[in-house]
Amino acid sequence: MAVAGGTLEHEHGAGHHEMSDALYEEIRGHRLLGFTLFLISDCILFSAFIFAYLYLRNTIDHWPPPGIEGPNLLFGALNSVVLFGSGATMHYALESWKHGNTKLFYRWLGLTLFLGLWFLLGQGYEYSDLYYRQHATWAGSIFGASFFTLTGLHGFHVFVGLIYLSVVWLQTRAGVYTRQRFFGLTAATLYWHFVDVIWVFLFFLFYIF
Amino acid sequence: MAQDKPTSGSGQYSNLGPYFWTFTAFLAVLAIISIVWLVQQDFSNWLPEAAIPADQIDALFKFMGVWVILIFYIVAGYTIYFAIAFRYRKGMPPDAIGVQVHGNAKLEFWWTFLPTVLIIVVAIFSVEIWRGLQNTQGGVLTMEAIGHQFGFQFRYPRLSQPVADDMHVPVDTPITLNVTSVDVIHGFWVPEIRLKADMVPGLVQTLRFTPTKIGTYRIICSEFCGRDHGDMVATLHIDSQQDFGRWLAQESKAQSLAAAAPLDLSKGQAQAGQVLFSQKCSACHSVGPFDQRVVGPGLGHLLNDPSHPKLVDGDPPNPSNIAKIIEDGFQGPLGVMPNRQANGLSNLDIANLVAYLVSLSGQK
Amino acid sequence: MAVAAQHSPLAEHIHPEPQGFIRKYVFSIDHKIIGIQYMVTGLIFFVIAGCLAELIRTQLLNGNARFLTPDQYNEVYSMHGTAMVWFVTIPLVTGGFGNIIMPLMIGARDVAFPWLNMLSFWLFPPAGALLFASFLVGAPEAGWTEYPPVSLQGPPGTTLWCLAIILIGVSSTLTGLNFMVTIFKMRAPGMTLTRMPLFVWAQFATAGLNMIATVALSAALSALFMERVFGVPFYDPNHGGSPILWQHMFWFYSHPAVYIFILPAFGIISEVLPVFARKPIYGYKMIAFSSVTIALLGFMVWAHHMFTSGMAPWLQLPFMILTMLIAIPTGIKIWSWMGTLWGGVIHYTTAMLFAMGFLITFTIGGLTGIMLAAVPADLHEHGTYFVVAHFHYVIFGGTFMGVLAGIYYWWPKVTNRLLSEKIGVLQFWLTFIFMNLTFFPMHILGLEGMPRRVAVYAPQYTDMNRFISISSYVLAFTFVLLFINMAWSLKYGKKAGPNPWGARTLEWMIPSPPPYYNFKNIPAVLSGPYDFGSPLPYIGLEEELEKAPGGGPLPAGAH
Repeated sequence: MAVAGGTLEHEHGAGHHEMSDALYEEIRGHRLLGFTLFLISDCILFSAFIFAYLYLRNTIDHWPPPGIEGPNLLFGALNSVVLFGSGATMHYALESWKHGNTKLFYRWLGLTLFLGLWFLLGQGYEYSDLYYRQHATWAGSIFGASFFTLTGLHGFHVFVGLIYLSVVWLQTRAGVYTRQRFFGLTAATLYWHFVDVIWVFLFFLFYIF
Repeated sequence: MAQDKPTSGSGQYSNLGPYFWTFTAFLAVLAIISIVWLVQQDFSNWLPEAAIPADQIDALFKFMGVWVILIFYIVAGYTIYFAIAFRYRKGMPPDAIGVQVHGNAKLEFWWTFLPTVLIIVVAIFSVEIWRGLQNTQGGVLTMEAIGHQFGFQFRYPRLSQPVADDMHVPVDTPITLNVTSVDVIHGFWVPEIRLKADMVPGLVQTLRFTPTKIGTYRIICSEFCGRDHGDMVATLHIDSQQDFGRWLAQESKAQSLAAAAPLDLSKGQAQAGQVLFSQKCSACHSVGPFDQRVVGPGLGHLLNDPSHPKLVDGDPPNPSNIAKIIEDGFQGPLGVMPNRQANGLSNLDIANLVAYLVSLSGQK
Repeated sequence: MAVAAQHSPLAEHIHPEPQGFIRKYVFSIDHKIIGIQYMVTGLIFFVIAGCLAELIRTQLLNGNARFLTPDQYNEVYSMHGTAMVWFVTIPLVTGGFGNIIMPLMIGARDVAFPWLNMLSFWLFPPAGALLFASFLVGAPEAGWTEYPPVSLQGPPGTTLWCLAIILIGVSSTLTGLNFMVTIFKMRAPGMTLTRMPLFVWAQFATAGLNMIATVALSAALSALFMERVFGVPFYDPNHGGSPILWQHMFWFYSHPAVYIFILPAFGIISEVLPVFARKPIYGYKMIAFSSVTIALLGFMVWAHHMFTSGMAPWLQLPFMILTMLIAIPTGIKIWSWMGTLWGGVIHYTTAMLFAMGFLITFTIGGLTGIMLAAVPADLHEHGTYFVVAHFHYVIFGGTFMGVLAGIYYWWPKVTNRLLSEKIGVLQFWLTFIFMNLTFFPMHILGLEGMPRRVAVYAPQYTDMNRFISISSYVLAFTFVLLFINMAWSLKYGKKAGPNPWGARTLEWMIPSPPPYYNFKNIPAVLSGPYDFGSPLPYIGLEEELEKAPGGGPLPAGAH
């Protein structure tokens, strides 16, 4: 017995194409709310670690602690532009799909994946500078504890996002989405924007503040 | 099926229930007797009030106790009353229903408003007592209590060494007690003072109180701290001012004697050494393996580290040689370690530190 | 969102029945089966955690006993608390009662995401196995609160503990999310928020807490894990961390957690009292409103667990005042429940006895909570048996009395059998009396100077501890009575039929046990379910209790 959450597709075999518009709309409403609630709870996860960071940071007078320069503002700003750019490209991807332009959709989606990967590589470069040149390790100080844990958690979300977007690419190729029924694309876009919003906070808290 | 008119039986009851006012009178009498009894209690009969501000805290307990009793009687009393007064009785129709009332705005207003007022009153009283606590006098004697696994140590301004297990304070003297820990979180609690503070490593908390009742009392660890948390108890001695003076003088003399005595490693106490280590050595040394450096090497495996079979000065690792390095200090590739004079260490201190370091090597 | 959809294609859609034992009873996506799985698993952990409690009480028969070594004692009390909090109480009241009853009450066919629901359940037994596996490597010893630095020193089982709680936390978060969407979106036509049964309001508020607070705990736990395993400094002051940081992060979840415990029980009481007093719940709107208020306020009071911790003294004041304020919405409920009894025609079923007993024992717990909220008093009470008494009164005397009322109330719906009222009434009186005899003296022990979490104690506490231990053995026995009643009922219990209690919420309008599709036709709802004088406020239930010859009625439109 089941009526939602993927079962309808499984039971009908060919995806959601066979169900009525009204039924699709109803289920879409549930999924949108559920996905939004999931993103809210993910916000709380980041908030908890941000609280820990600010609390620990407040226990010492100078930040970063002596001996550590911290992350590079310029490099971080450039990398942020890359990530925010991928948010824009994802937006255009979704818009292209809605307006029926499949080729453009794939182009924008590909660009998003590329920029997302670029961001992760940039983070990797930042990490190696901190780790090898500045000797700021994860376990070595409360700077490492807060910076690497928070940006690492974010980076993990980006990584999962890249996998998610790749899956969405494959699903589109397989014809899962139509012009009217494309909640999976909407959800992926929401997730990707969420990752951007979190980065706004992290960039401010570690690079500017 | 269902009846149109709500019925609760034969209709001979008042709206509130049979004998409602009789019951209320009975409950009121019970409540008054209980409250009067409570108010007349001297809590120090159950648990002595041995210091200021225990009396203020007991006053708060008494104040809250009055309201707790009153609310409990109202809730328990009327729950039981309604349960009995409005029970289904044989002879009632099987589909009898109760009064089909959903609520009463006026009643609900009052039973929201009055408890709010009561809570505000309790809050105000609590805040007053709280402010009194912030303003408790201290400072005529300032001392420290240090928690460690699993005992208490006490430091006095005129004593160079800490005192273990027995805390002496003079009566009628405002005391400032700074508490902290050298390892995990402990708790400093004397029930007869009604005060407690967690002993947190890396942080100092302050308690202020004035002992008022001569006697001996338990100091209890009130925060779980490991295996022997249940055994972590010390003794508070509230002495007369003369007795305290005498004790302090005696203790001071004993400590000077011990300090003047030649170095006797067999008198070393590992627990005292642990406290000393955290105060004097941990700025530069960890208790981990050799390579876990802060400034100098880690000292956790001095006696049994296969990769460092000798001490830093080349001597074989044994208690006397460890003591020698502490006495003379050391200069090496990692830096300069001060000698005992620079560190302010007595012979007893050195014996305690050596005992502690030896005990570390004995652990896994 | 406030008014349920007038036309729900989803509600019309009935699927073929699942086939095979595995699909039907093991990996089921049916909320009723999942709920029963939660109840059974939760009760199993309850028995285990209860045995751990009896080990504690046996050690405490004497002030210097060697029944358990100090390390063993510390493991036992820590696992008792851990299991009771996360593997008994939360699963029973949310995954158990919430799953079985809530969708029925709102006239839905299932929850919003049934597959997610199944996943939520199947995280539960592995998490429990992971937790109890810690006994093999040295179970956690620093309480269910595991404060660092002592938890950094703890045995390897402490690391397993972190992982087990994170795992079951995912289960809870997903359930919370699932219930929120279900209650927002899947109510029957006409069931506005103010026509929803109060049990549903309670699950709604609880789901919000589950969804938001649990994630914060995962952060704290994963930080502890990272520090223990990789040395990342969050909490160890020797490496720049702060032990108080743990306390803030832990209690930010664990205080709302206690409202997760109690709100569903409040919901059960709000259902049981009207049915057996044969009158509407008194003050419906205020009870609903107060559930949400308690949930919101519950996020703002966590540091009342930290008054002695060394946090900045000025912080004590706002937390004290906010904590005291929670008494007001809670009090509103108590008065409303008493108002429900007034003027009723009260039937002394076991469920009703537990509900009325709840009013007394929960109130005691709530009142001692106010005594703890007052900072100067807490300076004496913190870390003592006074606290142990308080939380057992609100959890046992509150949540568990509600759980027992719920079991006796809804058992007939799930099994189509009545539990024996004779055994039930006996169980009630023994539980009520011995619960008080076990936990009330702990208030006195605490005030007189006995700290908590100790395997040994000073001689003056011996008599009272012995009294408590012996009472606890009898209390444990009363649960044996419950299980005997359950077994007896399954074999000899009278058939219950759809509505043995003459109740009015939707779950009683369909057969016992409900068919896999719940309702042949989703009804429309005209008003709330508490008007005992009036006709049932539902349209469209005519076909529910028909039975086609040869069993297995076929709902119209199924294929």
